[in-house]
Amino acid sequence: MTDVIDAVAGIAEGSPLAALRAQKPDLVRYTQGSHDVLLAPADPAGVTLAERALIALRIAVLDEHGELAAHYRARLRAVGGDEALVVAAQRGASAAPSPRLAAILGHVDRLTAAPGSATPAHLEALLGVGLGPRDIVTISQLISFVSYQVRLLAGLRLLAEEARA
Amino acid sequence: MTAPGFTLEALDWDSWLETVDVDQATPEQIAVLEKSLPTAKTSPYYLLLVHDVAALGQRSPLFNAVMYGPRGLPRAERELATVAVSRINGCAYCASVHARRFAELTKQPEVMQRLLDEGVDTALDARRRAIVDFSAKLTRAPQRMTAADLAPLRQAGLSDLEILDLIHAASMFAWANRLMQTLGEPVRPAQK
Repeated sequence: MTDVIDAVAGIAEGSPLAALRAQKPDLVRYTQGSHDVLLAPADPAGVTLAERALIALRIAVLDEHGELAAHYRARLRAVGGDEALVVAAQRGASAAPSPRLAAILGHVDRLTAAPGSATPAHLEALLGVGLGPRDIVTISQLISFVSYQVRLLAGLRLLAEEARA
Repeated sequence: MTAPGFTLEALDWDSWLETVDVDQATPEQIAVLEKSLPTAKTSPYYLLLVHDVAALGQRSPLFNAVMYGPRGLPRAERELATVAVSRINGCAYCASVHARRFAELTKQPEVMQRLLDEGVDTALDARRRAIVDFSAKLTRAPQRMTAADLAPLRQAGLSDLEILDLIHAASMFAWANRLMQTLGEPVRPAQK
């Protein structure tokens, strides 16, 4: 399976950056593993594959990572996400096609921009649109993972730029 | 009772959602808890995260590799980066845990006390300044960074592998802070 970080960052096999990452194989393995269990789990339980791709895409859009957004946009389409979901990822909760997705996207935007502003009432709102504790944990892990991924990609980009200079 | 602010004292964390009852946990959940942290089976945070056992099963070994994996950036400097990120994001619980780890490793609790009290712009030696500044930028505006942001780290002597570790440590706390800050809250142990 393609390593998502390498693919999105454009890290070629045999490049110095690939060799550097290979010195820490657990970081590579479990970063990819986290992506896979959050975006393409064996058991998606209460959060659909399209919802997962939508959430990840929204964060890539908010964090202005064009290549990562392209990756998750392709994923969203691959799991059956229609144009309305692509538009919702671009515009946020106000363009969501359902109250459930509006609640989820509102939570995504809050966690991405201002994690310190969250309150128990926000989780009540998610419970109110039919999500359970397990689903909320999944969504929170996914949002937080993509926030990690955006920064890891940014850091690797700096190393690549430095090597080219 | 007001929420605890930034402190070197140990805090507890309460979940805003129902956690998994350890007596009802599946064998897979127990296995993932046991490889996460020795105390995970009594931790509300881990008992909450184990609702999604597959996600925690990947995240825990990643977290442990980022913070404790061999070679690369010295452990105390990984802790420093995570405290800087937690101070910026406002995660008093994360900052308290990792400030104490830094203090144990360096025997310099006063450095952490100042960072917690005054914020990430507090006076630091050149190498720590470079680590904290890099972590702060990666937290606040990752897309606006350029290769020039690596220069202070290079001047302070950081190798490629050390910088790779620093990137992972600071990024990991974009993750950790968000879970801790949005699924529950820190409480003083005496409150319980």
